[in-house]
Amino acid sequence: VSALLHFEDFPVGRKFECGLYEVTKEEIFEFAGQFDPQPHHLDEEAAKHSLLGGLSASGWHVCAITMRMFADEIILKTANRGGAGAREARWMKPVRPGDILRLDVEVVDAKPSQSKPIGFVTFDCRVFNQREQVALVSMTPIIAKRSAP
Amino acid sequence: VSPQYWDDVEIGMRRELGSYTFTEDEIIAFARKYDPQSFHIDPVAAKQSMFGGIIASGWHTAAIWMKLAIEGRKRDKDSGRAGPLRSGVSPGFEDMKWLKPVRPGVTLSYTSEVVDKAELHSRPQLGLIKSLNEARDGSGELVMSFVGKGFISRRPKGDAG
Repeated sequence: VSALLHFEDFPVGRKFECGLYEVTKEEIFEFAGQFDPQPHHLDEEAAKHSLLGGLSASGWHVCAITMRMFADEIILKTANRGGAGAREARWMKPVRPGDILRLDVEVVDAKPSQSKPIGFVTFDCRVFNQREQVALVSMTPIIAKRSAP
Repeated sequence: VSPQYWDDVEIGMRRELGSYTFTEDEIIAFARKYDPQSFHIDPVAAKQSMFGGIIASGWHTAAIWMKLAIEGRKRDKDSGRAGPLRSGVSPGFEDMKWLKPVRPGVTLSYTSEVVDKAELHSRPQLGLIKSLNEARDGSGELVMSFVGKGFISRRPKGDAG
């Protein structure tokens, strides 16, 4: 088992590539049926006439998939004290059945706590599809333990 | 009269979206797919964690907001009340905060309040609204909040309302 990542492993400017994640039509239907049952996520014919011009994944589904890619590559490899939200997320392009997503993240802020052996790291997150279009951008903070001095 | 167009929506309008009780099975099923941290998926490891037990992924708590919001819109439609003509499309959200852990058996009540609205120069047939969306537990404590954004149809020209 390799050593866990700590606060010191996240200097501003460090980049990570996460993914890939293939989004199937079945998974789009499953998530939308459970959490976001709107026609443009569930009904191919109705979706054609919607603002997005075809079937697309729920934006919340895209957030969840982004979390999965982020967890597999960063969170689960970090001495992590939890996250507490997301500062901002923007859905830039619809995610379509068959899309293969990749998540590029870059550390844009890293501040040690003044009182505890932890630090606050903020990642700029960009989800790309296989056409190199940005589907989602977000700013995501995590709390990481500092390595022992 | 319920507001139908963006033009009729007023800042301060507030809706109760209903409540939802989280079960351990659902919490684990969601997290195994999308947020497999041990305190979301493994009851034994969760006990040893800083949370002292299984808690729901914050994204699960947020997804339930969407579910209840859609159900509310459907109830309006079925009862003949004309809710806002939503496009169903959102450009995103701001300030997603997970403030308290959501444990199995917890019931959260969700609300949505309009806090801002803006015209869209790029899409004059639509307007933007921002809503403060909240989930509170049985003792009224704030558990989750975020500012959502949505596109709503504007009143067609020539329709005096």
